[in-house]
Amino acid sequence: MLTRDEVLKIAKLARLELSEDEVAFYQNRLGRVLDYMTELKAVETSKDAFVRHVPLDAEPFREDISESFGGRDALLKNAPALEEEGFLLPAILESE
Amino acid sequence: MSTLRDTYEAVIGLEVHAQLMTKSKMFCSCPNEFGAKINTNVCPVCTGQPGSLPTVNRNAIELGVRAAIALNCQIRDESIFARKNYFYPDLPKGYQISQYEKPFCEHGKLTVKLKSGEEKQIGITRIHFEEDAGKNVHAAFGTVVNLNRAGVPLIEIVSEPDMRTSHEAGQYLRALHSILRYGDICDGNMEQGNFRCDANISVRKRGETKFGTKVELKNINSFRFVEKAIDHEIDRQIDLVEKGETIKQQTRTWNSGKNITELMREKESAHDYRYFPDPDLSPLRITKSWQDKVRGAMPEMPEQVRQRFQKDYNLSDYDAGVLTASKELALYYQETVKICSNPKASANWVANELLGRLNAEGKEVYDSPVSAMQLGDLIGRIDQGEISGKIAKTVFEEMFATRKNPADIIKAKGLVQISDTGAIETVIDKVIAANPAQYADYKAGKVKLFAFFVGQVMKETRGQANPGIVNDLVKKKLDS
Repeated sequence: MLTRDEVLKIAKLARLELSEDEVAFYQNRLGRVLDYMTELKAVETSKDAFVRHVPLDAEPFREDISESFGGRDALLKNAPALEEEGFLLPAILESE
Repeated sequence: MSTLRDTYEAVIGLEVHAQLMTKSKMFCSCPNEFGAKINTNVCPVCTGQPGSLPTVNRNAIELGVRAAIALNCQIRDESIFARKNYFYPDLPKGYQISQYEKPFCEHGKLTVKLKSGEEKQIGITRIHFEEDAGKNVHAAFGTVVNLNRAGVPLIEIVSEPDMRTSHEAGQYLRALHSILRYGDICDGNMEQGNFRCDANISVRKRGETKFGTKVELKNINSFRFVEKAIDHEIDRQIDLVEKGETIKQQTRTWNSGKNITELMREKESAHDYRYFPDPDLSPLRITKSWQDKVRGAMPEMPEQVRQRFQKDYNLSDYDAGVLTASKELALYYQETVKICSNPKASANWVANELLGRLNAEGKEVYDSPVSAMQLGDLIGRIDQGEISGKIAKTVFEEMFATRKNPADIIKAKGLVQISDTGAIETVIDKVIAANPAQYADYKAGKVKLFAFFVGQVMKETRGQANPGIVNDLVKKKLDS
């Protein structure tokens, strides 16, 4: 199980505010995720390439030619909010 | 006198992010250009759309390999791209593609010259590829994100903690900047953020072998600030230690307006980023034959240019060093020589007059008000006897202030050198007539007064008389 401090640190990095109940909940829940990961470590993966999606014989490089995408408007339209063609988000404040 | 500060030593390591001079981004074909309209160089890959896949820019890899060769690194045949996970809107994928466990090269070194005249070797821990992030602009109503820069190719060059003073760090940075510029790897523009430096700084008592807790100083984006910022941070840490306080591992930023470092955040450690190999990218293979190809096409490095200058232009080791300190300066010098065909005079003018004026105004060679062509023209006019070296300095000052051509200034101010022997003789006669006592003394054997007469003639002609001719004629007149 994770310690209370570990949960609070992860919450801080994720910019989440947790109630006391939630801290206890995640101590247990995240701990179970980690236990499962520990179990997965037993699988031997060092010799196989199956961890990669990319076929190994594929040409891995692209020539350095610049080309505009052409679908900019669609990309901008996808954004929940825009400010003069910039993606607009709630103000980010550096937390301390 | 020994001060409190002398009982401590600083341990400094630098991390430099250098933007690669490619046409397109690292993992997509969007243009890599500065100053484009907001969110124009964007596509599904660099905006992190689901289902999009990265493809590696071959040229970016080659430029990285060039840097590795120039910095004497060992290149890995196979390295891997990793995801560095962090939550911030400047990288909408939620991770930055970087390299972690297996960077493409390691174990390099860079030799820097110190003001003491000594050389010091600084180790390069590693260089790895990564993509740049976008830009957040913070406003009162929210944060506006521009993703033009997201995905632009970078190399991060990490040094060993081998530096002990801010001067060493500054020299390392200058040498590194110069190599990247010479190699056409990075344009080195610090104002545009294309060459950025973070410094890891800790202090310890002299003689101590363990490192103190390090503080990361972010975004030192000017050579002028590097030394100042590092010195300030060293002092801050020594003060804390002296007060018995512990130094916290944190990230600070340099505030150049207030001349202090300020807290940005408590430092995340590597495991907070949950690095793992990017499953979308196959391992990066840089074969020996590819490395050899890049090696064979390497642009001239500063040391090579320095040797060429010594050989071709017969310059001293010192002058060659000064003139090759940056690629811009070396090109400027070469161009000046091309115009006036006088390597020695060009070296003096560029290294003394030009650099002196530029330094005084805090300007770089690329924004010099006097072009290489104009300076070469000026030197040519001295060599042809049109103006004296002394007058040329006045003309140069005027060129620097007004950007005008030397011919225009010489004409407008009537500075053309007087080489007309008749005109000079008239002046000499006048000077002798006005100073009968000195003339008599000279005739009586006080030959030192020769210099007095030369000086008077030069004064009468406002320095415009050809000094060689004046010397000859004064001698002739006095001794006749």
